[in-house]
Amino acid sequence: MGELIENNLQRSLSFKFMLLIALSGVVMVIDYRETFLQPVRTTLTMVSYPFKYAINFPFSATGYLTDYFTDHKEMAAENRKLRTTLDIYAARNQKYHAIADENQRLREQLNAIPKAREKHLLAEILSVSANTFSRKVTINRGSNDHIYTGQVVISGKNIYGQIDSIAPDSAEIMQLTDKDHAIHVINTSVLTRKPELAIEEVKGRGALAVGTGKTNLLELRNVEANIDIKRGDIYVSSGLGKLYPAGYPVAIVSSIKYNSGDSFMKVMAHTLTDFTQAREVLAIWHNKRTEKGPEEDIKSQLKKNKDTEKSILKKKN
Amino acid sequence: MGNNVSLRFTGALITSVVLAFILLLLPLSESWMLWRPEWIVLTFIYWCIKLPQKVSMVMAWIAGLFIDVFYGSILGQHALGLVIVVFMSIRLLPRLSVSILWHQLILIFLVLGTYLLVNLWIMAGTGSNPATWHYWLPLFSSLLIWPIYSWVMSFFHVERSRFDMF
Repeated sequence: MGELIENNLQRSLSFKFMLLIALSGVVMVIDYRETFLQPVRTTLTMVSYPFKYAINFPFSATGYLTDYFTDHKEMAAENRKLRTTLDIYAARNQKYHAIADENQRLREQLNAIPKAREKHLLAEILSVSANTFSRKVTINRGSNDHIYTGQVVISGKNIYGQIDSIAPDSAEIMQLTDKDHAIHVINTSVLTRKPELAIEEVKGRGALAVGTGKTNLLELRNVEANIDIKRGDIYVSSGLGKLYPAGYPVAIVSSIKYNSGDSFMKVMAHTLTDFTQAREVLAIWHNKRTEKGPEEDIKSQLKKNKDTEKSILKKKN
Repeated sequence: MGNNVSLRFTGALITSVVLAFILLLLPLSESWMLWRPEWIVLTFIYWCIKLPQKVSMVMAWIAGLFIDVFYGSILGQHALGLVIVVFMSIRLLPRLSVSILWHQLILIFLVLGTYLLVNLWIMAGTGSNPATWHYWLPLFSSLLIWPIYSWVMSFFHVERSRFDMF
């Protein structure tokens, strides 16, 4: 009798096992190929959010407390430095306003669509992903603050990453250094070395900055062997692919290797954002379309505008 | 084996799993994070050894879904892994004398190794292969931490001696 029960138990165990394996398989395939399991993930994220917050709270609190009790002298020095930076920025901002005005006027003259005003939102980094091999962090803003998937996140003046998944009150950011992340960049240091180069030429020789999964390290792919590149060159986002805004600093070249015979060089670069230090980030709204119209038309118009802007900028420089 | 062991309080099993999740989510520096033992897997293996009739595969599956959410991996990956962990542990138990530490370590090595391998396959298949041998460090750290962790886990249950009738 007992053996029979034992047997039945084993059989139901195997049955359950098969069922759960099949279920996992189905869930994985759906999650990989489709998007309609997103609500499940969102719900689970929401349920576990307080838990995650509670675990991280003591650590973030300690961070803030140490900041609070840092030496007064140090604080004063830092304050002075920040004031100076602020002055510099204010001066730069003045110039920016002038340029923005000029830009606006030129756009009006060209009868172009108005440039979408940039909106941004400060978000606090809540926790780092538990997965050692992915570079993702959770922030305390979500769809309630109109954050959307694929939104660009910056830290200081450098690009930090993009929003990967969202929940109502939190969102996950994929950092630039994540293994699944890539961004098209162009070398601006080349422009200072060879000012005669046209921007299109530089753009055509851009590189793909792919995450390595290691802190602050990117690999620049598709850098051809005959390209002018040096250690310390700064790469900025090119705006290709229309996800990231153009012109934001991304990485600084740290090592260049070339095996003769290869068509590409192996270039490693450090990100300009220090991912170990950033505690707050800015989510920006830069490419949300304000006007609906024939896609082709807008595209060609935008291109035209860009060309004009470039030629003006070139003349200025 | 399991008959003279009982939970110290109702929900002790779930509490221990929650504890494992806390250990999983503790923010550590990067070099330490590489060595982080697979706490959840260790917890489930522990309960499979001590109280196999109390371990539910569905619970392991749900715990796995939560790991997927915390890790940002595709849903079902760690869920599948944990179901395999529970099934393998229960099936391997009769073939080992689990009161001996050495045999426990063999069990963990086999089960956790399978878990990591299945995860690696799925990650490679979906294009996020870690591609570094660091991936296997948790296997060794888990084996190293096991004696201490199983001692901590023993607070969650009471074990009556075979001859203690009252």
